[in-house]
Amino acid sequence: MGQATLVQKMKEKAEAVQTRVALVRSMEEALTAAVEITLKGGGHVLAAPGLGERHEEAVPFLNELCRSRGVDLLMENLRGHMGRIHTAFTVGDYAIAETGTLVQISHDEDLRMATMLSETHVAVIPVSRIRPHALAFEPEMLRILQRPPSYLAFISGASRTADIERVLTIGVHGPSELHMLILEEEPHEEAPS
Amino acid sequence: MISTPPDLKSYKTQLRRALQNEFLATTLRTFASAYRLSRANAFEGLDATHLVEEIARGKDAAIPYLQELFEQFRSRAEAAGVKVHVARTPREANEIIASIARSNDVRKIVKSKSMTAEETFLNDHLEKEGFQVTETDLGEWIIQLRGEGPSHMVMPAIHLSRKEVAELFTGVTGEVQDPDDIAGMVQVARKELRQAYVEAHMGISGANFAVAETGTLGLITNEGNARLVTTLPPVHVAMLGFEKLVPDLRSALRILQMLPRNATGQAISTYVTWITGANQCATGPDGRKAMHVVFLDNGRLTLARDPVFAEALRCIRCGACANVCPIYKLVGGHNYGHVYMGAIGLILTYFYHGRENARAMVKNCLNCQACKSVCASGIDLPRLIREVHRKILKEEGTKPVKNVILNLVLRNRRLFHFLLRRASLAQSPVASGERVMRHLPFFFDREHEFRSLPLLAGTPLRDRWNQVNPSLENPRLRVALFGGCLVDFVYPEQALALVKLFAAHDVQLEYPMEQTCCGLPAEMMGEKETARQVALQNLHSLDMSRFDHILTLCASCGSHLKESYPRLLEGEGDAEPMVRGMVEKVTDFSSFMINVLQVSPRQFQEGGAKTAYHSPCHLCRGLNVTGEPRELLTLAGLEYTPSRDEDVCCGFGGSFSVDFPMLSAEILREKLDHTEDTGADVLVTDCPGCVLQLRGGLDKRNSSIRVKHMVEIIAEQKKW
Ligand code: SF4
Ligand code: SF4
Repeated sequence: MGQATLVQKMKEKAEAVQTRVALVRSMEEALTAAVEITLKGGGHVLAAPGLGERHEEAVPFLNELCRSRGVDLLMENLRGHMGRIHTAFTVGDYAIAETGTLVQISHDEDLRMATMLSETHVAVIPVSRIRPHALAFEPEMLRILQRPPSYLAFISGASRTADIERVLTIGVHGPSELHMLILEEEPHEEAPS
Repeated sequence: MISTPPDLKSYKTQLRRALQNEFLATTLRTFASAYRLSRANAFEGLDATHLVEEIARGKDAAIPYLQELFEQFRSRAEAAGVKVHVARTPREANEIIASIARSNDVRKIVKSKSMTAEETFLNDHLEKEGFQVTETDLGEWIIQLRGEGPSHMVMPAIHLSRKEVAELFTGVTGEVQDPDDIAGMVQVARKELRQAYVEAHMGISGANFAVAETGTLGLITNEGNARLVTTLPPVHVAMLGFEKLVPDLRSALRILQMLPRNATGQAISTYVTWITGANQCATGPDGRKAMHVVFLDNGRLTLARDPVFAEALRCIRCGACANVCPIYKLVGGHNYGHVYMGAIGLILTYFYHGRENARAMVKNCLNCQACKSVCASGIDLPRLIREVHRKILKEEGTKPVKNVILNLVLRNRRLFHFLLRRASLAQSPVASGERVMRHLPFFFDREHEFRSLPLLAGTPLRDRWNQVNPSLENPRLRVALFGGCLVDFVYPEQALALVKLFAAHDVQLEYPMEQTCCGLPAEMMGEKETARQVALQNLHSLDMSRFDHILTLCASCGSHLKESYPRLLEGEGDAEPMVRGMVEKVTDFSSFMINVLQVSPRQFQEGGAKTAYHSPCHLCRGLNVTGEPRELLTLAGLEYTPSRDEDVCCGFGGSFSVDFPMLSAEILREKLDHTEDTGADVLVTDCPGCVLQLRGGLDKRNSSIRVKHMVEIIAEQKKW
């Protein structure tokens, strides 16, 4: 599958599970989008756990952006901020096109707190990390599982339930919105742990 | 605690009550239709059959090695900081979990959905021990608040209306809830449950897989509650059955490909979480989670060695077997299972919750094969249901009178046929020359009045055969007719139509006289030995060397000959190769006309009646014949008009309709409604059992729709 087809499929399948998909060209563009999404959703707190380790260079930019737009930025110790986080900003590790799935290595507890307890989850996923289907991802996934402890999350859309009269309702426990920003140029090609 | 009727009488009372629940009926009916569609969409572009086979094969390879897989899982998980426990009984499992809670000073517990925990009634135990347990899956929370068990494995609260939920939530919040604001009620749950997560000291989850090669647990949810349950509290206990062990990640991913598609028609569930080892947790000991995994045996390891029932351990709990079951659709999971429900529930109840709870409901199966045709892991569910039935009869030693009579009569063909002839003579003469009994004999109660029953034929087919069957000079083919009891003794006209038709096509038909009942009724009643004996007799009566084909007009006989004979006669020495030879030659009428005789439209009249079709369970699922009958109808000049749920059972199910007339009547009612909706003049099917049911029901409705066996309508349409 060519890259363009893969991205197209990713977009199509993610949208099929109500994920909002956009293409971005840089980390700065992604961060700007996340801050705008926060403000548009009436939020004032953005958490970006793990960004410092993965994209240290982006942190000053985000700091400045949040300050200027009046958004509180949280980077760690998120247990102390449960219930406050509006947006979780994360960098996805992989994605699976066939099912529109975001794959997030989530051993880090702050990362889990943010992606589970926020209202909106904005994830950036570099194009080079998109795999066509789960079985194609299996060898890489196996390597992750072989190095415990690990908490690996497949996320396909927003938290949902159909438990009352089978009416589909979004946002029962976790985020009610998932945004996937597909990053077309990848400044740092680095294998995740 | 849930309670399940231990005897047929109280079970039937419960079923009658369930049938009064209109909300349940509407909800489950809508769900069944929606499910069929979404499942089909979800598998688009995928080879579902192949996937089922792969899963079945994978499971079958793993089941004999559950103990070894467990050891492997344990060593990987323990190396990663997890404590692994084994519980032999539900009580042991509950006690292990309670003691983990005690030793961690836990008071409040949050739980994500786990059928295994339902199996052990874990909540009851923990509450008795003084712990406060909150279910966090919305449906589970709702039923927990109501003090009920789940009515579906995937949608536990499907039996409840928005009104009932609103009333419940009004009680919980002290604020009046609007039943039409479902999103609002979901927000109530979000708020209340958030608090529970934060306060809880321990989280309990189930697991969908335990991957032995890495010591990983896989959890699938849509709501995301399992993520919170496994993240926020410092202690995590996962409880699962041994059968959840898979050797490797690849096997787990394969199941993942199937499970959400088959369960809810989703390509994937929203959250799939893979946990390996004790992860970071700020409030846990040393900043890590205190993690425990409890494997429940409760008979699974013995089951794994059972030559017949090990197959049940393939189940991945997708719930599909309930979704398509015509009985589940009528009465819901609370009346069609104990803890586990639907087809697999009828089976597992016996093994996990005992005979008492399985005894009555295990009889409640049409053998329509709908469950089998969608099972994610290819389990032959109807067969295992019959086997459980048999096991219970055997253990209880006292057989119902009808079983005793059946054994006595069926094993002796002459006696059986003699009695049928006598019964025919004993029928009161009917004035108008009608062939139906409008008023049933005294031993049927009013519940059976939903259909009229046919009279036995004055002279059975076998007694006229030699006069009616012409001997052809140089026939192109020789075909043995396997009549089956209904064609022989009730509807010989169906066979006579065939005789006429075949003579015109130069096919020599023969009726081997030693043949008897195919034995399916015996098998359905749990009488395997009788089923085996008649199978042998039939096999010997059909001298395979003389015939090119064995044709049956009864789909049930056909699928029983083809599917069950090889199993029933396994290890019978000489019989085995004979069965193999026979199986290859068995065919149904439509397939024979299309594939062997290759009939063409020229041979039939044009402008035939508007025709609806009912696809018999044992033809479309038993023999996998779906295209030929429809092709034949069109080709023979009939105006075939598809109807809704054409391949859903008509509710006959042999003795089922005698045992459970109230269910049979409801299933039939829906079938006939769909038929009438098409505006057809004729309803065609290819099984005399279905003819009996459909004709009897339409007669009671005073409908003008004529019911015909395929062979009759084709003979009518033929240009002579
Ligand atoms: S065979 Fe039919 S009636 Fe019996 S459990 Fe399966 S679906 Fe239900
Ligand atoms: S028996 Fe088959 S269809 Fe039923 S729940 Fe298990 S896997 Fe699914």
